Amino acid sequence: LSAGKILVVDDDPQIRRVMKATLVGHGYEVVEARTGEDALEKFPQEMPALVLLDMNMPGMDGLETCRHIRSGSDIPVIILSVRNTEKDKVAALDAGADDYVTKPFGIEELLARIRAAMRRSPSSSEGGPHGYSAPDLEVDFETRKVHANGKDVRLTPKEFETLRYLVAHTGRPVTHREILQAVWGPDYGDEPEYLRVFINQLRKKIEANPAKPKYILTEPWVGYRFAG
Amino acid sequence: MPRVNLSRFLASILAVGGILALYRLVLPVNNTTVALSLLLVVLGVSARWGLAEATVASIVAVLGLNYYFLEPVGTFTIEDPQNWVALIAFLVTAVTASQLSARVRRRAAEAEERRLEIERLYELVQAMMLSGNARRTIREFVQRVVQVFGCEAAAFYYRPGEEFFRSGPESAPVTDHDLLAAAEIDELSVDALRRRATAPVRLGGHPLGAMALVGPLPSDQTLRAIVNLVAITIQKARAIEDASHAEAARQSEVLKSALLDSLAHDIKTPLTSIKAAVTSLLGAAAPADRELLTIINEEADRLNQLAAEVIAMARVEAGKLHLEKFPVTAAELIEAALADLGAVRRGRTINIRLAPGLPRVECDPELVQQVVKQLTENALKYSPEAAPLTISAVRKGEKIVIGVADRGAGIDEDERAHIFDKFFRGRRYRFETKGTGMGLAIAKGIVEAHGEKIWVESEPGQGSAFYFSLPTARRGDS
Repeated sequence: LSAGKILVVDDDPQIRRVMKATLVGHGYEVVEARTGEDALEKFPQEMPALVLLDMNMPGMDGLETCRHIRSGSDIPVIILSVRNTEKDKVAALDAGADDYVTKPFGIEELLARIRAAMRRSPSSSEGGPHGYSAPDLEVDFETRKVHANGKDVRLTPKEFETLRYLVAHTGRPVTHREILQAVWGPDYGDEPEYLRVFINQLRKKIEANPAKPKYILTEPWVGYRFAG
Repeated sequence: MPRVNLSRFLASILAVGGILALYRLVLPVNNTTVALSLLLVVLGVSARWGLAEATVASIVAVLGLNYYFLEPVGTFTIEDPQNWVALIAFLVTAVTASQLSARVRRRAAEAEERRLEIERLYELVQAMMLSGNARRTIREFVQRVVQVFGCEAAAFYYRPGEEFFRSGPESAPVTDHDLLAAAEIDELSVDALRRRATAPVRLGGHPLGAMALVGPLPSDQTLRAIVNLVAITIQKARAIEDASHAEAARQSEVLKSALLDSLAHDIKTPLTSIKAAVTSLLGAAAPADRELLTIINEEADRLNQLAAEVIAMARVEAGKLHLEKFPVTAAELIEAALADLGAVRRGRTINIRLAPGLPRVECDPELVQQVVKQLTENALKYSPEAAPLTISAVRKGEKIVIGVADRGAGIDEDERAHIFDKFFRGRRYRFETKGTGMGLAIAKGIVEAHGEKIWVESEPGQGSAFYFSLPTARRGDS
C-alpha cells in the first residue's frame, strides 16, 4: 500500500530522478511535472496527497503555481528553493505553502517535513483541533484546559487562541503576520515585536525549559513552528 | 564709430550743386521752388547716409542759395530781411529733418544689430544643445562662441571637473588665475576698451565655473545672455549625464544580481541531487560504505558553503547588500547564530555574557546573525577543543558592541591588519584548516553596510577577541 501520492515539480531532471528513487524507496507513489503549467495540468488528474514544488522554474514560478493550487485545494504543498532568506521563506508561506525547505537538503529532513505536512489532515484544520496530547503537555480545546509539566495552566484568551492556531498547523512554520492576523485580526500583522513578547509568556507557561523550548520553536526571523 | 566716407560727402555736395546749376542755368524758377528742391536733396542725403553728410549738404545749399538766387545775386550778402528769415528757416528745417531721419536710421541699425546677436545666440545654443555631456558641451561652446560672435578667443573654467577649456592660444591673455577669480565674483566684468570680458557661470546659485571672451565683444546684454545660456546648457548636459550614469549603474546592478542568482541556482541544483542521493544511501548503508558516503555528504555541504560564500562576497563587493532592518535584541542574534551553527559547536563550551538591560539594536538580523556565526565558527576553529568561548554584548554610548573571544593562539600584530582582507589566511593555519578566507571579509562587508565597525583585539598566546558595533534602536521602535 502506498504511503501517499506525491507530485514532484522541478525543472531539473536529475532532481526529479533522485526524488523519485528516494520517495518510492520510502513507500510513496511519485508523479513528476517539469513546469508549473505541467503541474497544474496533472494536479486534477492525479489528485496527489502532497506537492513538492521548486520555487525557481522557467515560466510559471513556484509561488504562482502554489497560489493556483491553493485557489482550488488545501492539500499540503512544500516549497523547495535554493534561496534561504527570510523574505523568500515568508513569500512561500504567504503564497499558501505549508513548509519551506532550502536546497540542498538531507533526505531525512525532507521526509520528516513530508510526514509532518501529511499528518496535518486538511479537514482537521478547518474546525480546529480538538486537543493535543503528549506526556508533558495536554491541551483540550473544547474545555479550554491546559495541563503542562504536571500542573494545570491558565492561559489568557489570546494565548489560548495562539496555541490553538499553532497546534492546528503542527509541524508547519507559521509567519508572524499569519499568527497576528489569525488571533488579533486583519488590522494586525506588522508587530512581530509584540508577538515575540507574547510567545515568551506562552512558553513560560507550557514549556519545561522556556529557554530551550520543545513545543513552540522559533523559525528565525520568519515565525514559529509547533513541534508536535 | 561710423567711419568717415569722403565719397558720400562729395556726392552730397555734387547733388546740391547739381540742383543749383539746373535752376540757375537751365530752368529759371522762383526762389521758393529752389529752396524746396534743395530741402528734398538734404532730406534724401540724411535718410540715405546720415547726419554729418546732411549737415554738410545743407550748409552748401544755404551758401549756394544765398550766392546764386538771393538778391544781390553773386554775393554772400542779403539785403531783404525777408530773405534772411527764409534762409534761416531753410537751414533749421534741413538740419532738424536730417537729425530726425538719422535717429530713425540709427534705431533701425541697432535693431538689426540686436536681431543679429539673437540669431547668433540661437546658433550658439543649437550648436551646444546636441551634446549630452558637460565637457563636450563646453568644448563646443568655446569654439562656437568665437566663430559665431567674431571674437578672438574664449576660455572656460569648469568647476565641477576643475578643468580649463580654451578656444586656442589666442586666449592666453586670460590666465587660469583670472578665470578662477572670475568664478568668485558676482557680476560680468568688461574692461574699459571692451577687449576682454569675464563672468561667473552659475545656475540658481549653483556654481559651474567662469567664462572669458577676448574682444571684439558683443553688447553687455548679449554677454549676459551668453553666460545664462551656457549655464543652462551645461546644467542640462550634466543632468542628462547623471541620468545616463544612474541608468547604466542600475542596469549593471540588475545584471550582476541576475548573474549571482543564476550562479546560486546553477551550483546548488546539482548539489541538491548529490546531497539528496547520498543522504538517502546513508540511511541504509552498510558500515563499510558509510564512511565513504559520509565523505561525499560532507564535501557536498562544503561545496554548498563555498557557493554561498562566493555569492555573499560578490554581493558585498557589488554593494548589493539589501538591508531589512528592524529592532532585535543581541540575545536573539546570538541565539539564532548558535542555532545555525548546529553540530559544529558540539562538545564545546560557549559562555554568553549579556550586560543587563541592553536596549535593542537596529539591524538586518539575518545578515548580522551571519556575522556572529562567522566569528563564532572562526573562534571554534582556531582555538583548542577544551578552551571555552565567550560571546558578549555590552552597551557603549549609543552603540551595542558584540564580541566573540577565544583562548586560542592569538593573532600576530602584522597579520591583524590583514585579517579582514579577502582571501587572507593566517600563516599558521594556511595549510591546516578548511576555509576560503572570505568569511571575515564578508562579515566586515555586512557590518560596514550597516555603517558600523568591526575590529580585532589579540594577545599572542592569550587568545583573540573580535568585536563589532551596532546602533541601538531608537525609542518608539520597539
